[in-house]
Amino acid sequence: MISLTHVSKIFDGKRKATALENIDLHIEKGNVVSIMGPSGSGKSTLLNLIGGLDRPSSGDIRVDGENLSELSDDDRTRVRRDKIGFVFQFFNLLPTLNSLENVALPLHLRKWPRKKIEDRAKELLNLVQLDHRLEHLPDELSGGERQRVAIARALSVYPPILLADEPTGNLDTATGREILKLIDDLHSRLGSTVLIVTHDLEVAERCSRTVALRDGRIVEDRRR
Amino acid sequence: MMLFRLLSWPYLRRHLVRWILTVAGIVLGVGVFVAMHTANRSIFSAFDRTVDQIAGSTQLQVSAGEFGFDESVLERVQSVREVGIAVPVIEATVDTNIPGQGSILILGIDMTGDRNLRDYELKDADEAIMDDPLVFLAQPDSLMVTQEFAGRNNLTVNSKIPLSTIEGIQQFTVRGIMSSTGMTRAFGGNFAVMDIYAAQQVLGRGRRFDRIDVRAKDGITIDECQAALKATLGPSFDVDPPSARGRHFEALLQSYSTAMMISSLFALMVGMFIIYNSFAIAVTHRRAEIGILRALGATRGQIQRLFLLESIVAGTLGSVVGAVVGIAAALGIARWISRVLETAGGVAQRVSELQVDASLIALAIVAGTGTSVLAAWIPARNAARVDPVQALQKGKYQVLSVGENRRRRWIALAAFLIASVCLFFSYSKPFFYTGYVLMIGAGLLLAPALTLLLSKTLRPILKRILPAEGTLAADSLVEAPRRTSATVSALMLSLAMVVGFGGFAHSFYSSIQEWMDNALNPDFFVAPSENLATRSLTFPAEISSVIERVDGVDQVQVVRDARVTYHDVPVMVISIETEKVASTVHRTPVAGSLEEMNRLTAEGKGLFVSESFATNLKTKMGDVVELPTPSGLLKLPIVGIIRDYSDLRGSLFIDRSVYRDWWKDDTANIARVYVKKGENVEAVRQRVINTLSSQYRLLVLTNREVRDWIMKLLDQWFAMTYNQIVVAVLVAVLGIVNTLTVSITDRKRELGVMQAVGGLRKQIRWTVWIEALTIGVIGLILGTCLGAVNLYYTLGMIKRDLGGIGLDYIFPSAFMILMVPIILGAAWIAALGPAEAAVRGSLVEALEYE
Repeated sequence: MISLTHVSKIFDGKRKATALENIDLHIEKGNVVSIMGPSGSGKSTLLNLIGGLDRPSSGDIRVDGENLSELSDDDRTRVRRDKIGFVFQFFNLLPTLNSLENVALPLHLRKWPRKKIEDRAKELLNLVQLDHRLEHLPDELSGGERQRVAIARALSVYPPILLADEPTGNLDTATGREILKLIDDLHSRLGSTVLIVTHDLEVAERCSRTVALRDGRIVEDRRR
Repeated sequence: MMLFRLLSWPYLRRHLVRWILTVAGIVLGVGVFVAMHTANRSIFSAFDRTVDQIAGSTQLQVSAGEFGFDESVLERVQSVREVGIAVPVIEATVDTNIPGQGSILILGIDMTGDRNLRDYELKDADEAIMDDPLVFLAQPDSLMVTQEFAGRNNLTVNSKIPLSTIEGIQQFTVRGIMSSTGMTRAFGGNFAVMDIYAAQQVLGRGRRFDRIDVRAKDGITIDECQAALKATLGPSFDVDPPSARGRHFEALLQSYSTAMMISSLFALMVGMFIIYNSFAIAVTHRRAEIGILRALGATRGQIQRLFLLESIVAGTLGSVVGAVVGIAAALGIARWISRVLETAGGVAQRVSELQVDASLIALAIVAGTGTSVLAAWIPARNAARVDPVQALQKGKYQVLSVGENRRRRWIALAAFLIASVCLFFSYSKPFFYTGYVLMIGAGLLLAPALTLLLSKTLRPILKRILPAEGTLAADSLVEAPRRTSATVSALMLSLAMVVGFGGFAHSFYSSIQEWMDNALNPDFFVAPSENLATRSLTFPAEISSVIERVDGVDQVQVVRDARVTYHDVPVMVISIETEKVASTVHRTPVAGSLEEMNRLTAEGKGLFVSESFATNLKTKMGDVVELPTPSGLLKLPIVGIIRDYSDLRGSLFIDRSVYRDWWKDDTANIARVYVKKGENVEAVRQRVINTLSSQYRLLVLTNREVRDWIMKLLDQWFAMTYNQIVVAVLVAVLGIVNTLTVSITDRKRELGVMQAVGGLRKQIRWTVWIEALTIGVIGLILGTCLGAVNLYYTLGMIKRDLGGIGLDYIFPSAFMILMVPIILGAAWIAALGPAEAAVRGSLVEALEYE
């Protein structure tokens, strides 16, 4: 499903900084994988590369057969919108859109028919148990509710891959557990491949595989 | 200063393009101000210099408007005990017919007596003339030209020059070349001297002089001499020092000067808005920096001074560059204005050098810097008031607080109410202009609230059209009313100006069209000058009968018009054959009945005036007008007021018989010719040319050609207005660029999220474009509303202070429809750069941006 071959990422600045170095990683369809490591180990960079938000300095990244390294910006966006759902640590909801509109946004960008969009958005918000918060703006929601909206948005097209960058990092423990449970439920219902960046051991233990990074290299790859 | 070096300087360097644009705003304002005033001053100065240079030692000049007077007046002047020297003068500009030389100022003088007043030092001349100037007189084709003119055209003694005269193009012989003295520099050196009796003949003056130049007897003061002359000649004659002509020239161009003043003030205001916009955006952009500074202990005063210092630097730099640009452009503008004046007003002028006034430059720099500081004052004050906590929260600063909104609305309402009250007293100048300023002020104060309201109203529509892009674009405007409203206000004000000027132009064109349809209906016009506005050449009385005898001519109406000074206002006296004109022309009366005014005027029992005359001279029906004439004061009541655009300062219509009796002049300068029904106009016109061309210099224009000529004049007059429209649109574009640049910075993360969840580049671009287009739409809506108000005041201002012309209120709908694609196109172009910037940045950085 996801395959990285000799992937490196070097940030050019006054001083070159190597974020990832010669990464080889293969993730099968339907797996739930956690990526762990200390701050600056390159885990978010890895997620950004897999999500097509950034390009590797060298190496190939294949997502569902598509070589992201060879695609234009717009083609990478198309891969992202058809195959990948993103959940961010800081939710990244658009503050001016209500829950329904936030979830509907990716569908509007795909030019779906209005009725179908509304049905899907409501269905997903129902799935994350926020059917009573459709008209609420992000400011009017709690942290956990915001993350649920973000998850609903990430799943709006039933993507085969869900990427979550510290999805519980900005939440209290109880809410974090709820969110993880939600991701588990959705995974079992939709069968998506899930990649979670975290430094929380509890989160990692819920995953079938854990990849540990340090200084831009994979130092451990443990399957359960 | 330390804060400036540490914070402002790096910021300026980082945003160099925006700062150059800001400074460009001041350059524009100060540049136009300096250019307009310097050009104006140069024109007046050129006129004064010419008058002064050809005055010699003349102390007083006796004149009677442009009509001149009979030769016999010379004896009356010479008989005055206090007069030492009195010599007659004819002065006219005629076409040189030399490519690139334009016109030449001809001074017709009596060579025998004139040398007592003026020095004609000859550099080169016929030997006989060197010995005895009377030889010059014996040869009527004699001409003395300046050394400068001779040099420019490779003329030597006995060279021939073709000059346009009443008798057609005539060859004159250069008998002498004058050495470079003060006088030879008159009219940019295009100056020649001719014998006065030859001038009378070739310029169609008959036995009349234009004026008499006088010097008082030794021991007699100028005031004593002036008083004695006035007592002898009566009120029909003007007795003034030569410098008074400059005042009359200025009075003649008063409406034009006022228009120039408004233009330059408009330019300064435009500059002020650009600065305000840039500073408002800079404060917004740097809110986090301000917050950190405040958190670190910077006082409000320090923050305010930091921004004000930046405005002083920008203002001074922009003003100095603007002054240089203005001076560089002034000569070209002065020459262009001179050409317009010559064609439109028949006032020939030649500007060869610039009159740069150091105090004006200093004033412009102070005004530019002051304007910059004033414009930056509110943003600087807002910066100083920034709450450190709020400043560090993205977007919070853009929100207009409820309190501020309410305060603005109350002030706007108060301004609106006071302005409405002022309307009832708008006959008073201070009330009228106070109302005008308050009404515009109310519009500007309401702009943020209305922008917010319209943004919210447009959101569902945009959402319907493009659900993702439209919604986000509308939300961006709704969430940042402060950012949006600065640009919308600039756009609104610019468009209000455009509607004002455009509406005025539209109304004026419509009125002129109506006037031409009613009053200018002869088949063709015959004039002895190079254009219809020049009155330096006239036909003899028999021209009427000569043309009437031409086969195919039905009727000829001769007109003699000339400018006279009435109550210190230069107005046009137009003598017409009233009965004949009444049979063919049906004017629009503003007051009085058309039949009655024609009857009374034809009987010599009254005169009718243009609306502009009535307004400018504050006269009404029944008022008695006292016109100075060579035969004494002509007193006639006003029996009608009409719409007429023959002269912008005002026209008086008297019957030709009255003119003949009182001015002792039967010449004409325009013949209006009607062709018999069924006759071919072009064939009759050709027959008239064939009949007259051997005797007279002729300008024969068909009705269409006259209309085209008038429309061309109007176009030239309004060209400046159209330039202002271009400036207004540029300001709007600049404002939109600034707003969008900040908008995409503020929304970096949102646009990043949009891309992260599947937004393509074109969808991001569309979001930014729609935001710009929405600003354009809101600006158009508000600008149209404020423009409708502005047009009302503009027309009031035109009637009150710019010519006294009453124009119907016609909203320029077609013009505004044309502005829609222009403004939206400009908004879209303004959005191209920011939209590209929005899609080019790093997505990862965008998602991490806070």
